[in-house]
Amino acid sequence: MPLLILLIPSLLFLVAVFALPLFRYTWLSFHADSVMTGLVAIPNQGANWQRFIHDTRYLQDLFQTLRFSVVSVTAEIVLGLVIALILHQPMRKRALIRSSALIPWALPTTVMALGWRWIFNTPYGPIDRLTQSWLGQSLNALGEPSIAWITTVYADIWKTTPFVALILLAGLQTIPSDLYEAAKLEGAGSWICLRRITIPLLLPYLGLALMFRLAQAFGVFDLVQVMTGGGPASSTESIALYAYWNALRFLDFGYSATIMIGSFVILSSLILITWLVVTTARNRSQQSLAR
Amino acid sequence: MFTIRKRSLILLTAAILFISSSLLCLSVLAKRPDNVSILMAAPFADSTSELVKIFNQKNRGRIHLEVIKGPLETEAISDLAISSLLLGNTPFDGLLMDVTWVPKYAKAGWLESLDNYFNEDDLNALAEGADEGNHYQGSLLRWPLNADIGLLYWRTDLMDEPPRTPQELESISQKLQNGGRIPYGYVWQGKQYEGLSCVFLEIIDGFGGEWFSPDSGRIGLDEPPGLDASEWLNHLIQTGVSPRAVTNFAESEALQSFKSGQAAFMRNWPYAWAELQKNDSQVRNKVGITTMVAEKGHQPAATLGSWGLSLLKGSAHPESTVEAFKFLTSEESQRYLYTKYGNTPTKAEIFNDQKLLENYPSLQSIGEALAYARSRPETPLYAQISVVLQRKLSSSLTGMTTPVEAMQQAERSTAQVLEAAGESP
Amino acid sequence: MTLELENVGRNINKQWIVENICLTVADNECLALVGPSGCGKSTTLRLIAGLDPVSAGSIHIRGRDITSLSPSERSVGMVFQSYALLPHLTVFENLELGLRVRGVPKPERRFKIKGILDLVQLWNRADNRPAELSGGQRQRVALARALLRDPEVYLLDEPMSNLDAQLREDIRPELRRLVLEQRKPTIYVTHDQHEAMAMAQRIAVLHEGRIEQIDTPYNLYHNPESLFVARFIGRPQINCLKGDSGSIRAVRPESIRFSDEGLSGKLQSREWLGNSQLLFLETQQGVIRMMTSPDQGIPAQIRLTWRAEDEILFDADTGLRSRR
Repeated sequence: MPLLILLIPSLLFLVAVFALPLFRYTWLSFHADSVMTGLVAIPNQGANWQRFIHDTRYLQDLFQTLRFSVVSVTAEIVLGLVIALILHQPMRKRALIRSSALIPWALPTTVMALGWRWIFNTPYGPIDRLTQSWLGQSLNALGEPSIAWITTVYADIWKTTPFVALILLAGLQTIPSDLYEAAKLEGAGSWICLRRITIPLLLPYLGLALMFRLAQAFGVFDLVQVMTGGGPASSTESIALYAYWNALRFLDFGYSATIMIGSFVILSSLILITWLVVTTARNRSQQSLAR
Repeated sequence: MFTIRKRSLILLTAAILFISSSLLCLSVLAKRPDNVSILMAAPFADSTSELVKIFNQKNRGRIHLEVIKGPLETEAISDLAISSLLLGNTPFDGLLMDVTWVPKYAKAGWLESLDNYFNEDDLNALAEGADEGNHYQGSLLRWPLNADIGLLYWRTDLMDEPPRTPQELESISQKLQNGGRIPYGYVWQGKQYEGLSCVFLEIIDGFGGEWFSPDSGRIGLDEPPGLDASEWLNHLIQTGVSPRAVTNFAESEALQSFKSGQAAFMRNWPYAWAELQKNDSQVRNKVGITTMVAEKGHQPAATLGSWGLSLLKGSAHPESTVEAFKFLTSEESQRYLYTKYGNTPTKAEIFNDQKLLENYPSLQSIGEALAYARSRPETPLYAQISVVLQRKLSSSLTGMTTPVEAMQQAERSTAQVLEAAGESP
Repeated sequence: MTLELENVGRNINKQWIVENICLTVADNECLALVGPSGCGKSTTLRLIAGLDPVSAGSIHIRGRDITSLSPSERSVGMVFQSYALLPHLTVFENLELGLRVRGVPKPERRFKIKGILDLVQLWNRADNRPAELSGGQRQRVALARALLRDPEVYLLDEPMSNLDAQLREDIRPELRRLVLEQRKPTIYVTHDQHEAMAMAQRIAVLHEGRIEQIDTPYNLYHNPESLFVARFIGRPQINCLKGDSGSIRAVRPESIRFSDEGLSGKLQSREWLGNSQLLFLETQQGVIRMMTSPDQGIPAQIRLTWRAEDEILFDADTGLRSRR
């Protein structure tokens, strides 16, 4: 009983920051609440949801957001692991090198997005000048729908790989060195050490980085807003950008709430499915490994 | 030593007591001034700072005006204003508003009518074009601080006369490009954002059409002028008259390109004129301005992008706020803002000032173009339908859809937006 | 001789961590390396295993120079202080990893692992993860891994320091049996001299990166070559008294006796050790430790003496044994 009392403050906190907004938005998604209703919530018999189901623009944004998240997070984890492994090596001025590797992450997103927008500017940015002189052709990195999303992914990787590397570096430091030494005595090379020792023992940290990053990438907003504004041809538009426009620019809070709740449901079920697939696959592979 | 210090301490205390009590008496006797605050985008907050000082000196003890400096970009300032308005009691008395916000803010019930503060004479004193976009459903909700219109900039060193039709613009460009005299013909705003809607409005009107009429509920995108406009913009990129990169050009990119002598024509706002006359400009004294091209038999159109002052509901001092509005938009203030910062005036009188026209020859062209000002569809749903249009146009300009499909889809989506909001066409 | 170290040294940043290590270990011999922490005993072991590079000298196994070979080419089996078992793998998988790396086919892997786990009596725990085992069981798994390697040399780095005292005593005979049965040269690193004396035929005492003395446990105790060895080996510690002309007289506590004449002292405190008692006696020469039978009474007038042959003389300057 006293233990339960001690839990109350944190429960209240959770309710305030998580449950209340969730309830409020769910309620709002069944109401028309927009500039046309004078910002008063009027029940509209699921009309928002009807619209949501048929919203091809949302579908496109969902696909693009998932594409952005999966590609950038995968690349960040792989690159982050490589960087963490390099930074983990003994080297001169290690503290200095480690902290300077974190600079991209320390920069505010809007500042770095502005920087990349200038670097990728067509035709005056340095990247475009380079492609013009080498390939004789403008890259048009932010004006071409098939390239612009990769450009935003690139900027995201540049910015957040250090964060992933930091988490993984912390994980690497928890692995005792004698595990590697024991394996070395048995004749294990660096690939086997990576596969059999580093990665399995780093799994909790990889999972942590994956969760943090996926959650952030699903909600990508400022990076895209500054770099492309969602264009060209809406090819870089994310769910968060669409929800934000509906709320603050269109003053359509009912539909904005529908987008947020809909995305919440879709993304949580995606994560659940992924988690189930991963755990069953892991169990199966462990069973086959044992015998 | 000790006694001297003690005595001086007593004297000091007495002095402080005397001064503070007399100040207290004065402040109780005098009426406290009305505190009036106006939120403005950063450039306007900067350019009006001297005017605010003068106003406060004139009205010492009666009104104290404070201009709150908001962010630089139009959308950012809108977000800030809306966020605070949604919370209920507004912290501001006035807001400097973009012309496209008026119907939305009015419908949301955030604006106080200005009908009682400005009369027929005041309205008649506005230049033709500057009187657009200030009313919604019959009431005056905004008083214009400046006029902003889309203009066609052209190179006086490359041609004698500017083109008047889309075909002329294209043929002049191609002739110059083929002759190797200039890399590109025409630069404009092709990025997926509000600027693209402004560009399109001028072209569809120039082809004799209309994007959307809030009164009749008619959408004119999937009609011949709309299709022509869409195809023409696409054609500019296909033929190389406009660079491919124009699909990510906003105002600054277009200006940069034109300023460095890369293009024969540019679509931009009046602010570009001063930029083009600066020392680092490659086209200094080689630029003329005119209205956008239009099909033969149709009038050219200039998208209106003006800023104006609105009185917010819940203001504690509406009279004093309007007094500040009147001061900031007075002929004298407008003259100052034009000569010092290049803010296009809204009073007809200024455009007829011969002395001013002698020193600022471009004012005449701007005044002439202002007469063709066209405001964007005046509906609370403007942001939605503009975003739909931008998206489809961007698809067509980047080759994702054909120009015709883009217009058909844009028309359908616009109708859906209107229907979902209960505004059946 | 199977394992030979010749003037082996390790140098980091111009500092010698260990220097001039010369030792030989025969087949069927267990040599213990003891010394205070930081004396270089673990470093010596790592040099033999190839985990640290050798800066000077050479190492031979059965006449083969292994000084610059990689750890896996040296044929050494090592038991780490922490056991170095992979926490995410079962006992079976932990043992299997090395065999896999060496390309042993699957049926043979299983056969070998079963044999070893039967030897250490852990076959029933093959599917458990290390976290599910007791400390002693984990140690046996680590030993099993070394045995599985069938190496030419066994290296044990403080294999019992993570076990509690009772368990250590229980395990000692078992460990001794398993290791000695292999009939391979074994080096056993420990900071515990009792363990060293129990496990090893010979002991090397290391001090500041150098070997002070290599000898049988008996000789180390009774004939220490230096004051350091005399003080390090044997608990309670040897008594050191000032002698004539810059010499130090060292006497083991159990050699001290009460007498009618000799050094006078006063009882400061006493510790009961069950089968004996330890007396701390204050004298002009400082506190003297005396071990005696538990029923020994304390005389009113304390006078201490010892036999001349029980006294070991050292040079105060060099710390070396001075022969009479």
